[in-house]
Amino acid sequence: MRTNRIWSWLFVALAIAYFALPLIGTFEFSLKMRRAAYSLDAYAVVLGDPRFQQTFMYSVLMALATIAVGVLLVVPTAYWVRLKLPHWRPFMEFMTLLPLVIPPIVIVFGYIRLYNTSSWLPLTGSAMGTNVLLMFGYVVLALPYMYRAVDTGLRAIDVATLTEAAQSLGAGWVTILARVILPNVAVAVLSGAFLTFAIVIGEFVMAALLSRPAFGPYMQLLGANRAYEPAALAVIAFLITWGCMALIQVVSRFAPKPPEQLH
Amino acid sequence: MADPFLSIQHVEKSFGATKVVHDFNLDVEAGEFVSFLGPSGCGKTTVLRMVAGFEEPSAGHILVGGKDITRLRPNQRNIGMVFQAYALFPNLTVAQNIGFGLRVAGASRADIDKRVAEMLALISLPQMADRYPYQLSGGQQQRIALARALAPKPKLLLLDEPLSALDAKVRVSLREEIRSIQKELGITTIFVTHDQEEALSISDRIAVMYGGKAEQVGAPFEIYNRPATRFVANFVGTLNVLEGTVTDASAGTVRVASQDVALKGKLDGSRTGDTLSLALRPEAIALGARPGHDSKLAGEIADVHFLGSVIRVRVGVGGKQISLDTFNNSSTPPPVVGDKTEISFSSGDVLVLH
Repeated sequence: MRTNRIWSWLFVALAIAYFALPLIGTFEFSLKMRRAAYSLDAYAVVLGDPRFQQTFMYSVLMALATIAVGVLLVVPTAYWVRLKLPHWRPFMEFMTLLPLVIPPIVIVFGYIRLYNTSSWLPLTGSAMGTNVLLMFGYVVLALPYMYRAVDTGLRAIDVATLTEAAQSLGAGWVTILARVILPNVAVAVLSGAFLTFAIVIGEFVMAALLSRPAFGPYMQLLGANRAYEPAALAVIAFLITWGCMALIQVVSRFAPKPPEQLH
Repeated sequence: MADPFLSIQHVEKSFGATKVVHDFNLDVEAGEFVSFLGPSGCGKTTVLRMVAGFEEPSAGHILVGGKDITRLRPNQRNIGMVFQAYALFPNLTVAQNIGFGLRVAGASRADIDKRVAEMLALISLPQMADRYPYQLSGGQQQRIALARALAPKPKLLLLDEPLSALDAKVRVSLREEIRSIQKELGITTIFVTHDQEEALSISDRIAVMYGGKAEQVGAPFEIYNRPATRFVANFVGTLNVLEGTVTDASAGTVRVASQDVALKGKLDGSRTGDTLSLALRPEAIALGARPGHDSKLAGEIADVHFLGSVIRVRVGVGGKQISLDTFNNSSTPPPVVGDKTEISFSSGDVLVLH
């Protein structure tokens, strides 16, 4: 028994070391810009770089647009599948998993072929069109996470009965979605939103191939030309991701509690 | 006679190749409380859902106040509904739940607040306005669901097994409360249940359903005492069924467990030699002779169950056991198993099931 426990702790320690050591190393390296002393100089350089601010803001805006479009697409779809087309669920699960199987580079080449300037919908012909195309690409990349999060949220509530209750009180579909379904899956939607945010902030392939000034390509560019700043940027990127994860935990505390706990 | 408030005319419903409701007809007067009573799968909830608009009839029409609502969407019918699973919106407080229908209808804030207060007073939960559903007991949640359904002043109230998820004590008190509120508001109500006691105790009329059809529609007294079919007789209340053979159709005698029983006027249409089933409610049978009881059978006490105010006795009569109820009397000891006895009943209480 005691030997088992020792082995368990040993494996836990190894796992922690495996994940933490590179991060600690990166963090330590990011502090070494000034000779013979730890400093935050690399962070100051990165945060003071106008390209950091521009690319970061661009990616934040793209993430927000992706989340908005993703929610508008996924919530009604997942709701309708649960309510009216439950036999479609395996198909929907498969469809929403496809972005994990098909590499982003394949998706983006497909986009470029379909929406180039000589196509029927020349989205790549303008900056705004390319932004829209990139945003839809991000929606696709985030689909597995967003769909699963929302579907899990819907599973926790009695979708059919709540819908019928709202209908019997005079509510139409838009009211039902906006006032009954969405508020009750808000935490699930937020979880999906934070995951989407983390994905969009770090995404490189699509933004680079569509030549958009996003944060991912900026990180790559900095990594190729500087020493300490990329380490600082990696730590910042990790902090953003962890911040998103922490927010998921925080908002999940505010989920509407299912009834029937007290009798 | 005035037109019925709710008229269900030749309604049928099929799911694929399976027909679950067959030519269902029912007229309900304004202010009436009608229960759909039947076992699981008898089609009672399907009929209710067609009235609510959640299912579309395969055939037939549903009229409310003379207007055909068969093809109207549920949110256009102004019909309130209470569900077995309460279906309160978990993200809204009690007051917001009750005011939901009014808010959807575009009522002013002041009107909503006034109506919510009225409804909370009606269900005797005025202090619960700011609570969330998870903070309420099952009985409280169902009362809030009732208030929510009534708040927009619906034309019709539908109750889909609203008491099934509650414990026995709460069920009894809540069903009385539902009936009292229904009478106070005078709202036409359809109540679906599989519990005969519930249906018998609170309904103006009961539609007993089986196999997608209404077997009998009538007042509780009529349903219980004069069941129209063998199913109704068996489903509603406890029934003793004895098989017999008509020994003399003209004299009205039937041989049951090797003993002759006289059933004058009960054997219309029967011929000597016919076999038939005789049904008797436990409370219509007495141990020993009793004034007004003109028929008797000899038997042996087989079992005695003390139920408090009532003692249920089983008497073996020719290989069959007959249940009968006697009131508990502290000065009279209960019957003893194995004692020879005689049971008596009035031939007028016998139901002949062909």
